[in-house]
Amino acid sequence: MTRYILRRLAISFGVLFVGSFLLYIMVINSGDPLEDLRQSTASNRDVLIQGRIDTMGLDLPWYQRYWDWLTGVAGCFTGNCDLGTDQTGTDVLSMLEQAATATLRLVTIATFAAIIIGIIVGILTAIRQYSGFDYAVTFLTFLFFSLPVFWAAVLLKEYGAIRFNDWIADPQISVLQAFIVGAVLAFILQAVMGGSMRRRLFTAGATGAFSVIALLYFTYVGWWRSPALGPVIVILVSLAFAVGLVALFAGLGKRRVLYATLTTVGVGSVLYFALAPLLEEPNWWLLLGLLVSAVVVGLVVGYFWGGYSRGQAMAMSAITAVFMAGMTFADHLVYAWHGFLELKPRPISTIGASTPNFQGDFWETTLDWGTQLILPTILLTLISVATYSRYTRSSMLETMNQDYVRTARSKGLSERTVITKHAFRNALIPITTIIALDFAALIGGAVITETVFGWNGMGAMFREGLDHVDPNPVMAFFLVTGTAAVVMNLVADLAYASLDPRIRR
Amino acid sequence: MKINRKILGGVAVLSAATLVLAACTSDPEGEETSESPTAEATTGSAAGPNDDTILISVGEDEWAGYNNMTPDTYSTYNSVVNDRVRETFTYFDEESAIQINEEFGNVELISEDPMVVEYTIAEDAVWSDGTPITYDDALLTWAAQKFADGENEDGTPVQLFNHVGGLDYGERVPAGPQGEPGGKTFTVEYTNPFPDYLLTTVIDLPAHVAAEQSGVSLEDMAAAIAAEDIEALRPVAEFWNTGWLSPVPGELPDPSIALSSGPYTYGSWEAGQSITLVPNENWWGTPPATGNLTFRFAAADTHVQALQNGDLNVIEPQATVDTLSQLEAIGDAVTVGTYDTLIWEHLDINFKEGAALAESQELREAFAMCVPRQLIVDNLIAPMNPEAGIMNAREVFPFQENYEEIVSASYDGRYDEVDIEGAAAKIAEAGVTEPVQVRIGYNTPNPRRTDIVALIKDSCDQAGFEIVDNGNADFFGVDLTAGDFDVALYAWSGSGQIASGQNIYASDGAQNVTGYVNEDVDAAWDALTSTLDPEVQKEQTIIIEGLLWDTLFGIPLFAHPGVAAWDSTIQGVVPTPSQSGIVWNAEEWVR
Repeated sequence: MTRYILRRLAISFGVLFVGSFLLYIMVINSGDPLEDLRQSTASNRDVLIQGRIDTMGLDLPWYQRYWDWLTGVAGCFTGNCDLGTDQTGTDVLSMLEQAATATLRLVTIATFAAIIIGIIVGILTAIRQYSGFDYAVTFLTFLFFSLPVFWAAVLLKEYGAIRFNDWIADPQISVLQAFIVGAVLAFILQAVMGGSMRRRLFTAGATGAFSVIALLYFTYVGWWRSPALGPVIVILVSLAFAVGLVALFAGLGKRRVLYATLTTVGVGSVLYFALAPLLEEPNWWLLLGLLVSAVVVGLVVGYFWGGYSRGQAMAMSAITAVFMAGMTFADHLVYAWHGFLELKPRPISTIGASTPNFQGDFWETTLDWGTQLILPTILLTLISVATYSRYTRSSMLETMNQDYVRTARSKGLSERTVITKHAFRNALIPITTIIALDFAALIGGAVITETVFGWNGMGAMFREGLDHVDPNPVMAFFLVTGTAAVVMNLVADLAYASLDPRIRR
Repeated sequence: MKINRKILGGVAVLSAATLVLAACTSDPEGEETSESPTAEATTGSAAGPNDDTILISVGEDEWAGYNNMTPDTYSTYNSVVNDRVRETFTYFDEESAIQINEEFGNVELISEDPMVVEYTIAEDAVWSDGTPITYDDALLTWAAQKFADGENEDGTPVQLFNHVGGLDYGERVPAGPQGEPGGKTFTVEYTNPFPDYLLTTVIDLPAHVAAEQSGVSLEDMAAAIAAEDIEALRPVAEFWNTGWLSPVPGELPDPSIALSSGPYTYGSWEAGQSITLVPNENWWGTPPATGNLTFRFAAADTHVQALQNGDLNVIEPQATVDTLSQLEAIGDAVTVGTYDTLIWEHLDINFKEGAALAESQELREAFAMCVPRQLIVDNLIAPMNPEAGIMNAREVFPFQENYEEIVSASYDGRYDEVDIEGAAAKIAEAGVTEPVQVRIGYNTPNPRRTDIVALIKDSCDQAGFEIVDNGNADFFGVDLTAGDFDVALYAWSGSGQIASGQNIYASDGAQNVTGYVNEDVDAAWDALTSTLDPEVQKEQTIIIEGLLWDTLFGIPLFAHPGVAAWDSTIQGVVPTPSQSGIVWNAEEWVR
């Protein structure tokens, strides 16, 4: 195995080297780096041109420029990286750090959301194959997949930012609007739930009534501007989650697992109150620590309740604990919304990674990040959800038609067990590969999304470098994305091998 | 389906509970969450700046550093910020005319022969660390453009200071500014008359910081400058070249070296996002009206929606028909201003051997007759700026006050209307029977220029030309310098200088790419650049414009339109065609 990895790495290194050479040559020949100066009538034009020639080394032959760049990069192995400067003399390495941070912030949530939503939707459509729901989702995913990003971004900004901000200033929902929203939700949910006509009607009716009443009631009490969840909701939703999780993946018959998760929720409820003063003004390290301890608590509770299903109980308790931690976090965030609106009356921005000079407490700052992130995240998620859901659907359908699934069914296992235990796991194998490769691609940034939302990330750096015929930023981009692609490819291969025992042989 | 029913029941109960409980809202009166400080007040004097923030964007380019006098950092993106921080003796007003900044000091031409200019710095003018702004600063500014440190292989001098002005100022003023160390008055003597003297920046960066940071005293530095001691000045130059730059985005320079001599100073800088200016507490002039100016780095095509959403308050977006209609659709909340910029489009005829129109004055006239200038303006420019007209001069712009006078004296309007028959007659007169192939070169992609060429082709092909669209992505890099075109279509961006045109139209001008040679034009330029009398300058400009029309150096088309828009609650925004951009009077903006 080690030999295989080393051989793969050596080949990848060669590929990167040749790639960097080709890219460098192509970039420096892609245009005229002095174009903007040639049209200038300023008397100091010659000095400007000479200055840029000196900074970019335009008077050197191409092989020397490439060699200079390469030796600078080689320095990274000895600890003194030099990726050169761009045409304004800015250090590319620090540009890269800043761009990579922005990009990671932008794409991480979108990627996870796309994976989770994509897989869930994929499984649901596979289970309800050829139903109205399946057709609708298929239609929508293809629609989103082929959305022109520029256009969709403009629409999102118009409705998600400008109109929403106008609305939140004085949030009113008319009865008609509430009914329309309720009808749409009712239609979607009954399609997902499926079943007999009677059951569908029941689902639709319940959903519709609930939505309409909720919307009107929330508006009436002014919830949109000063929302709150409160301990009861946090605990109730966590309980529901725990029960649902167990029902779905273990079966409510496994009492020990159920009790383990319920105990976790109980411990979580105590901690909810105990930690409240600590969470008034936390920091990210504290929250990370709390998350880790939540996992530990879950594991411990699972360990002691577990009995024969110890592994399952531990895993499910840990997941429940993480969920509850998330709910508590959301509770504090929601509570801060009112104060946040005072600081930033138009909460959703159309550009930027943060509001300039925003000064609020921890929760308000987090809300500011969130409101800046939400539109690009929605856009990126919509686009990539399509791939994941389609792959999951087809992979799931394929597995569901396998002989061993039929065997599982025929020996009397419940449909839940067949899907979650037998089909789902195997369906995940091909998706793992896609996820690994997608991550590599996403680190390269979403060029257009970054531009239209004013995030100066990797994509923006790449594009500006190309616009100015400035090789150093482009090459820095290449180094990161190229390396990420190579590494992720390797990771995908290894993950594949570990997931599927047949491949190891 | 038993279990499902159970779950459904649970869901129903839970939903109902949620509904009831979620209705409890965060009580605004209870715990005061909004107590946290709103945009911490950067306090100025009582009557001074308010706590408001005005958000501006001029594009996505990052601020590059305090010293924007090096070729790398010299850009409009950098100077829109730095011009608010460092004021000097002059500024461009809303008509792009140069004005003396009386808060900073005074400039007076005290003798024409020899040409001596006297500068007086305001008595209470200080850098933001409290050190008075004096003659020493003017001395360093001059020294930075004076000294060469050896020569290149091709014999051009290597500058000791990496100053964007080259050694031009040092050559024009060989003796340097004359005054007392620490004094508030000094004189500058030019060897030859220099009409653009008001544009010379005589004070840019704080000398005492350069001295301190390079480990010499101010006196020693002055002595080294007087003795032209390159070795002694080397550490100063080293600091000047690098010490005031910000190669790491997001790290503002140390406030003790990046001093302000203007109404604002640097407040905060978030890499890739924005830079914020706050009032300079030691500013002696009129305090700025608004406490925080934030320049956000956002791509131009995001500006309109950002303005509508309040993420930006003042924008200068790309002037396209779409932008303008989007802005107008927003309504009264936003004020839109259109204006002509200092960038102007023109057709230059190639006079080099072998070019289609080089040999024959008749063919050039025929070409000028068939170019549909009015149609080009009506179709491509008027939708953005209804008042736009064709431009009939090269050295003055339609919005400048002496434009009418100069145009009426130099041009009789003979090419205003398309005259196909006249053009055909001229072609016949030239003795050409075959259609004359004319290749119009420009840089691609540029849809507007492609449209212009198409309009010219429609019109001129009728007269007996065969217009060839020779657009090329490498036009500036290859075709223009190699002379591989018959007519070049591009734009010059005006700099507000009186003498800059000499470079283009004089026979040996560095930017004369068409090989145009005319002794009368050369003589008129020599006369223009050697006088300080505005009347004589105007006379010579009329002569030059007339000759350029008669010999058809080229055909001016139009000034590029500009669009600015701002939040209507902000008072005092005035668009300007000059390169200082919309922010030229930002210290007067107030909400």
